Amino acid sequence: MTHTTTQITSPPKPSEILLHLGPQHPLQPGPFLLDLKIEGETIREAELKIGYIHKGMEKVFEDRTYIQILPLTDRICYLASNSNNDVYCRGMEELLGIEPTDRAKYLRVLTNELCRIQSHLLGIGEYTTDVGFLTMFIYMVREREGIVSLLEAITGSRLNHNYARFGGVAHDLPPGYKEMALKTLGELKKLVKSHDEMLSSDSVYLKRTKGVGVLTASQAKELGVAGPPLRATGVEYDLRRVEPYLVYDDLDFDVITQTDGDVFSRVKVRLLEILESIYIIEQVLDQMPTGPYKQNVMPYITRPAPGEVYSRIEDPRGEMGMYIISDGSDKPYRFRIRGPAFATAQALPPLLVGTYVADVAAIAASMDSCTSEVDR
Amino acid sequence: MVDENADNEMVDGTRDIIEPPKIDRTIMVALSETFKDGVFDVDVPLPNRAVARIDPGRVKPIMQFLLDNGFDHLSCISGVDHPPDKMEVVYHVTSYSGPLVIALKASIPRDDPKIDSLCDIYWNANWYERETYELFGIIFNDCPYLKVLLLPEDMEGEWPLRKDYAGYPNPT
Amino acid sequence: MDQIEIELPSNVAFTTTSAIHDFIKSSPLQKLVNWGRKNSLWFMTHPMGCCGIEQICVGVAHYDTDRFGIMPRASPRQADVMMISGYVTKKYLPALKRVWDQMVEPKWIMMMGECAISGGPWWESYSTVINMDEIFPVDIYIPGCPPRPEALLDGFIELQKKIEAQQDRTVVPNPADIGV
Repeated sequence: MTHTTTQITSPPKPSEILLHLGPQHPLQPGPFLLDLKIEGETIREAELKIGYIHKGMEKVFEDRTYIQILPLTDRICYLASNSNNDVYCRGMEELLGIEPTDRAKYLRVLTNELCRIQSHLLGIGEYTTDVGFLTMFIYMVREREGIVSLLEAITGSRLNHNYARFGGVAHDLPPGYKEMALKTLGELKKLVKSHDEMLSSDSVYLKRTKGVGVLTASQAKELGVAGPPLRATGVEYDLRRVEPYLVYDDLDFDVITQTDGDVFSRVKVRLLEILESIYIIEQVLDQMPTGPYKQNVMPYITRPAPGEVYSRIEDPRGEMGMYIISDGSDKPYRFRIRGPAFATAQALPPLLVGTYVADVAAIAASMDSCTSEVDR
Repeated sequence: MVDENADNEMVDGTRDIIEPPKIDRTIMVALSETFKDGVFDVDVPLPNRAVARIDPGRVKPIMQFLLDNGFDHLSCISGVDHPPDKMEVVYHVTSYSGPLVIALKASIPRDDPKIDSLCDIYWNANWYERETYELFGIIFNDCPYLKVLLLPEDMEGEWPLRKDYAGYPNPT
Repeated sequence: MDQIEIELPSNVAFTTTSAIHDFIKSSPLQKLVNWGRKNSLWFMTHPMGCCGIEQICVGVAHYDTDRFGIMPRASPRQADVMMISGYVTKKYLPALKRVWDQMVEPKWIMMMGECAISGGPWWESYSTVINMDEIFPVDIYIPGCPPRPEALLDGFIELQKKIEAQQDRTVVPNPADIGV
């Protein structure tokens, strides 16, 4: 795998054909073009062409004030919008030298974990459609609606939440939230367990996913992936544990790992992470301190001192980083987004080489990449 | 605290590591001792962050040194434009075993932006280099496939993230 | 090529496409056709951004558009409605035009979300194509960033109203086709 390139190096021989998947293709969460050079049923070379929804975010952000950037960070990856807000706010807090209030830290953990749950639910849902298990997709979207309602109750929005602020959060919890959340999460826990059982016992599903698209730990590290695809190979790498931020070091949770590194393990990691996130949220709701949920002074024009910061957190998909350079003005000098899905998408072509055409959908979807964030 | 983490997190069973390398700030001392004229302005602004400037001609041996010392994860490559005469390539290198992130900055001349490719050392440098190339026009020597990644092919050569780019805001 | 002249017997009634359209327009049959069309709006699953997620949500469970006959389809050749559910770039526009051309008539197009309508938050970006209404014959605009599923449903209902009021155009026949 070491020397596998990420592109199709030569035109197809007479025994080979070139298969284009995309840019519009139903298996995809967004437009990208996957070119496969196939011989018979086996993939010889693969190339991923991205950029079909390249928004030029990094350039746009250089032309916006710091506070204007905040809602735009939602749109980097819409399924992880709270994480994106959070990583940006943590970076800015370091630049500004402020610290979020205690209650805000807990509220951010709460929304981050809810966001992780809904992202994983939709990720598994899209993946199960691609392996031909449409029932599970409908279950997953149904369960996701409950979590979306919980997020909506806090943030007021279904998708792009725009919740974190420099030194706090936008709103406090609504009254009676704890009971509502515990009820929904209790139901979800039972449902996820039963879905897990259903996926683990279906013989057709197991045949399609066990031992398919195998990534070993050393390969995964070499390809630079993080998040669930890495943890499915047995590497216990989770930034919540490696570099504890907010209040994660006060909370009790396990880093979910599997050993096989195949499609099945990647999805299993996500399913178990949902249960772990529910466990974290239960602790957060119990331990939530009272007090202000944001700093009193929140200027509209923020001018951090010249400097730079690289902040990163554990996104639902892996390591999300932002590199912000300030030159002392009200706009960033340079804003670099290091998305986890970009790294995962880059690792996809070498993973596909040698597999069968029929498994492409399962492997690509099990990586759970988010095109919007890949392209930015 | 950093050392404990490093020991706990090394659970990768597939490789035989006799002694896990230390993922902490001592690497910066070792780095500046090994590359006396190649690494300068070393700074550790936060417990988990380290910054240094490097000589752009020696980026490959420096990165090889970091990889051999346990920094096995290239997190990100970013270009930064400093008109009128400078450009910077910033490498964020970290490890799967610890929280330290090292930012290494290489300054290159703006009228001839060239730097060695890291694809031989870190496999995943490929896309980051292609992205930096198409957005800034920084040429990575020996990159196996230095073509546009995100932009349409006819936009190659516009270098949109340079500060003097004329196409922003979009006039249409 | 020489034109072949066919002698038609004088007692055969000769119908043209135009005549069929004229007949449909002047009869209650148009209503029947419109009724059929508006209750089988199959849309193409084509998520392109945040709006794509709401598009997925609206198609299954909970918001279940099946009750209006609105169903997601995977292929453009089977779809009646294309939703531009995200940001259109210079790189993607040719592919999007091709997808639109692959759809069979009658077809409708919906602009979902600010990015498709006007470029949204990225309107000044170097990669954006704005003025999408000059490129595609847009039927319905659904503003929002992203629009809620209820707004999307409302958009579909507006489209149904539009179809209900639709009169098929009279196609001016090509003289060569009818042997004139």
